[in-house]
Amino acid sequence: MIELLKIVDVCTRVEGHGTIKILVQNDEISNVNFEIGSNRGFERFLVGKKLMDVPKIVSRICGLCYASQSIASCKAIENLYDLAVPEQSILIRYLLLFGELIKSHTMHFFFQSLPDLFQIFGFSQKPFSPYELTRIEPQLTANIYELIKIGNEIERIFGGRSIHLITPIPGGLIYLPSQKNISIARKYFQKATINLEWIIEKFIELFSNHAPPKEFNLPNVMFMSLNNFGNFDRYGGTLKIQENERNLIEFEEKNYSSYFDKDINLRGIDFHFDKSKRFLVGPISRYKITENYEIENINTYLEYFDKSWQNSILFANFLRLLEMFFEIQKGLKILEDPVLNNRTLLPSLDSVKNSEGIGVIEAPRGMLLHHYCVKNNDLIKEAKIFIPTEINISIINEIITRYAKELYNKTGDINLVKKKIQTVIRAFDPCLSCVAH
Amino acid sequence: MKPRFIIISLTSCSGCISTLISLDIFPQFLERTKVIYFPFILDVENIEDCDIALVEGCISDETEISLLKKVRKHAKKVYALGTCAAFGGILSLSNSKDVSPISTYIEIDGVIPGCPPPSKLFGNFLMRLIENKDTSLSEKILCAGCPLREKMENNFDTEIIKIVPNPDEIFLGEENSDCFLKRGILCLGPITREGCEAKCIKLGLPCEGCMGPVSKDFTSNIINFLSLVNLSKDLKSYEGIFYRFSKPKLRK
Repeated sequence: MIELLKIVDVCTRVEGHGTIKILVQNDEISNVNFEIGSNRGFERFLVGKKLMDVPKIVSRICGLCYASQSIASCKAIENLYDLAVPEQSILIRYLLLFGELIKSHTMHFFFQSLPDLFQIFGFSQKPFSPYELTRIEPQLTANIYELIKIGNEIERIFGGRSIHLITPIPGGLIYLPSQKNISIARKYFQKATINLEWIIEKFIELFSNHAPPKEFNLPNVMFMSLNNFGNFDRYGGTLKIQENERNLIEFEEKNYSSYFDKDINLRGIDFHFDKSKRFLVGPISRYKITENYEIENINTYLEYFDKSWQNSILFANFLRLLEMFFEIQKGLKILEDPVLNNRTLLPSLDSVKNSEGIGVIEAPRGMLLHHYCVKNNDLIKEAKIFIPTEINISIINEIITRYAKELYNKTGDINLVKKKIQTVIRAFDPCLSCVAH
Repeated sequence: MKPRFIIISLTSCSGCISTLISLDIFPQFLERTKVIYFPFILDVENIEDCDIALVEGCISDETEISLLKKVRKHAKKVYALGTCAAFGGILSLSNSKDVSPISTYIEIDGVIPGCPPPSKLFGNFLMRLIENKDTSLSEKILCAGCPLREKMENNFDTEIIKIVPNPDEIFLGEENSDCFLKRGILCLGPITREGCEAKCIKLGLPCEGCMGPVSKDFTSNIINFLSLVNLSKDLKSYEGIFYRFSKPKLRK
């Protein structure tokens, strides 16, 4: 029996460091494993840190999901103090999550995913580089850079800087927007709406008439996301798990451990309430669980894609565009809200009321949950951080193993296998920095 | 000839690279350079000779050391991009990982400090790199341009009891605030390089030192500072702030 290990050292066009190990036995692929660099130990070194310090530290888990990390952390700490956050702070937190999503989704779409889409649907022989994309699609490129800039500016205006935000703190948010800044933000969102409409229509024009290849089909999975009474909401609401249209489980974040928890050695997440099922988080799950987008255009856009797309992970690319569109419209509404101008005094953090605090956010890549236990009033005793990509990794591995086996049987070309499975991994938009937290 | 760039990430959050891509000048940067290796956005497997390498992230394992040395061999100039690469960064807090700045293993030609590097400083730095101009940083400390400078603490006799103000004590607008060190709140401005436009201070929070020191190494600066300020017993044993972006240097 011959055993060979083929390794893709660095996965390209993904966030962070990942390697793929392909096990070949007797000229057949027996297993494929997508592996992430070693854990950086955030959960361990948070122990002993002061609560006010924690959101700033956890922001550094990820340079793409920084706002989600720090806001989930603030929510967990507010749960410890049993605090109500002023409405004005909540509105600005939404804006910060929107800015983060715009940047994260746009960068993934253009630099990581679009080159694959062009190749998958036969528009190019090999993935385009950003240089080639700029030349071939100048208008699209210009729109993309503008969107990234807009996401960045929203963060800078309301968060104090473009990443590792300064303004979100436990208890609220330290910023009072001026009329001038509100009007600048409005102009940005208006511009972003035009850009996105153009990109969405371009996407429909390019891809909606094609059926996505079956290797991107999702197996039977459970979808999980935060959801607010059927509405798309990434800040507040309850957690929902949907197996199919008939069966929906709903629970509050404080009861999460009845459904899932950390794997015993802190690698991965264990859904112990039904071990036979696999779980997916992110845009597809949010879409499946959302009953109503409240925005007419979104339903119209969705109608362009038939059933063959609904079960494909490639559909997430389109949903990311729609999520940006949705949040930009919601952002425009928030900017009109008079509460935004209320100068509210933030609550004082004196003594914790609960010994445990839990905070949840839908990060761009899915449900993100922070769970802290405290000691000596304001020091972390234990921290658990549940990362969306950690949940998705088992489905990613299942799909790439299935696909690699088929493709290798058919072609015997290991280099092709290496390339192709990376396109599947990219479609999931994994956040490897977060996983290696 | 367009300058050839390599951009790599070691142990990091990818925040410096995402900052780079969101810079106003990023499209212009791509136009005026030839980026030959940048796994975040390019499918290139081999590292070839380049003029300038930007390295994000700290060193936390052996494979990173060999990658870093390989990049050094192929690059005319190497710059540490961000506080992790320059000083070790946030993982200096870690007790399970031994992290080092890249200068522990290779000679570097400069640093682009900050967590993340401030967009203005970063953009200007890149433009000057492309134009082959001087890229040296300001040698002044944050206090030199601090909006609270006039109310600055000079005697350091107030007991420092907090690392951040309580949320209800944060003033919106610096006009109401006094120097943090006078209010008994630790501010690392006196030992931190300027260049961030005092963003945290303007929003009512003290400097946490992410831009790193002006000269010497991070830790010796902290030690000098600690001998000046009157730190409460509780804070003396709290490593969360002093080791946030760098660890005492060990000889390798």
